[in-house]
Amino acid sequence: MARSWSSMDEFEAFLDAGGMVEPNDDMPDAYRQEVFRFIEFHANSEYMGGLCERDWIPRAPGVDRKLGQMAKTQDEIGHAHLLYMVAADMGVKTRAQMLDDLFSGRTRFHNVFHYPTPTWADQVAIAFLVDAAALASQQAVFKNCSYGPYKRMLRRVIAEEGFHMRQGEEMLLRLATGTPMQHELFQAALDRWWMPALQLFGPPAKDNDLLLRWHIKSERNEDLRDRYVQKFAPLLVGYGFSLPDPTPVLDPDTGRWEMPDIDWRPLFATMKNEGPDSARRVGTARGAWEDTAWVRAALDRAAGSVEPAASAGTEAA
Amino acid sequence: MMAPVGLAAVVEAAVRAVCDPEYPDLTIAELGIFESVRVDGAGGAHIELVPTVLACPALRTIEQDVVDAALGAGAASAEVVFLTSPRWSPARIDATTRAHLGREYTVAIRGLDGRIICPVCGGREAHQRAAFGPALCRETWWCDDCRNPVEVVREAVGRP
Repeated sequence: MARSWSSMDEFEAFLDAGGMVEPNDDMPDAYRQEVFRFIEFHANSEYMGGLCERDWIPRAPGVDRKLGQMAKTQDEIGHAHLLYMVAADMGVKTRAQMLDDLFSGRTRFHNVFHYPTPTWADQVAIAFLVDAAALASQQAVFKNCSYGPYKRMLRRVIAEEGFHMRQGEEMLLRLATGTPMQHELFQAALDRWWMPALQLFGPPAKDNDLLLRWHIKSERNEDLRDRYVQKFAPLLVGYGFSLPDPTPVLDPDTGRWEMPDIDWRPLFATMKNEGPDSARRVGTARGAWEDTAWVRAALDRAAGSVEPAASAGTEAA
Repeated sequence: MMAPVGLAAVVEAAVRAVCDPEYPDLTIAELGIFESVRVDGAGGAHIELVPTVLACPALRTIEQDVVDAALGAGAASAEVVFLTSPRWSPARIDATTRAHLGREYTVAIRGLDGRIICPVCGGREAHQRAAFGPALCRETWWCDDCRNPVEVVREAVGRP
């Protein structure tokens, strides 16, 4: 049954009491827009992340790692597909519009997919450091997420990302306990990925953050980042790696790792699609979409008799 | 030679209790992946599993977890064989596990008529949107009633 609220106050009281909003509800338009933007950003990030994993399938060392890359590619593209369905259903943009905006550089995706991955160790750093940061932020959203379809999806995404993390940990251990060259290779990758991983959580939350107020996020960016540093700084130091700038320092009295101020300019550059690898990444994504147009056309024709008329906004043109 | 009394039962219980890498709160027995275990006179465990999909990228992880579980339960050695027959099918998943998949993961299993009951709203108006989802063993569907995506467990290879 569609529910409606007579005022924003009443709607916010519903959210504060732990209420969950469903697609058939008559939700305030500002909430719809905010949730939509958040899910679109997540969908874009899964999609760009999937392409990043795909790039490494032919170059991954050994059959098992290639299988791992294939699995991750399938996971991320599958997540993107599900998220685009949920986002398109909100009626703000169609999936075709979202993809067009992504390929034209008009919308954003996670900062970590704006950097190049020159070596296999970069891929390991992504699987270990970046996936862990993404998982932590997804868990914080899942915990108290007020939009039903998104919360249900996150449950599965989190279970699958947990599996990626485990693979990442195995790959890291291999390099950490390997030859001096392997150790150096990972150190160089860590130097490149530490800062982007920390910035993945976003800049410190503003006081009027609507995502927090409407229970889309449940924790402040800086709290998530701090917990991540407390966990990963000792782990990486324990494996014999050194932490690059911004380098946290262990306070012997409190046992806490204290972070220096972070330079946010690299993050803000990625948010404008002006990161070190942004142009190539977006171009690759657009090229992959254009190159596979004939596959979608063939599938659409084959499915023509099976697929019922799509409800508004849920299908790409 | 017979296995030491009790060892086979202990090893079987440990192996059955191994959790799936992508459904961390469900065991390989509940998902119908476990087939059999035999413990020989030397205490070696011989385990047979039925993979949901032969190309499943989680097989090596499951194998490792099963070997660790068998050794942890006291087996002197452990080997895993992935069977191609019988074939895995969603029919190997019991009713309790089906309910759990629906409730916790919004994952459904086809009925005999090929349709599904939406795990979110109980509606019958869900339709397939893609032959695969994030995993090789699942399809992507959409429920037109409650407007939620639903993932549906795939039949064995050869059936869409």
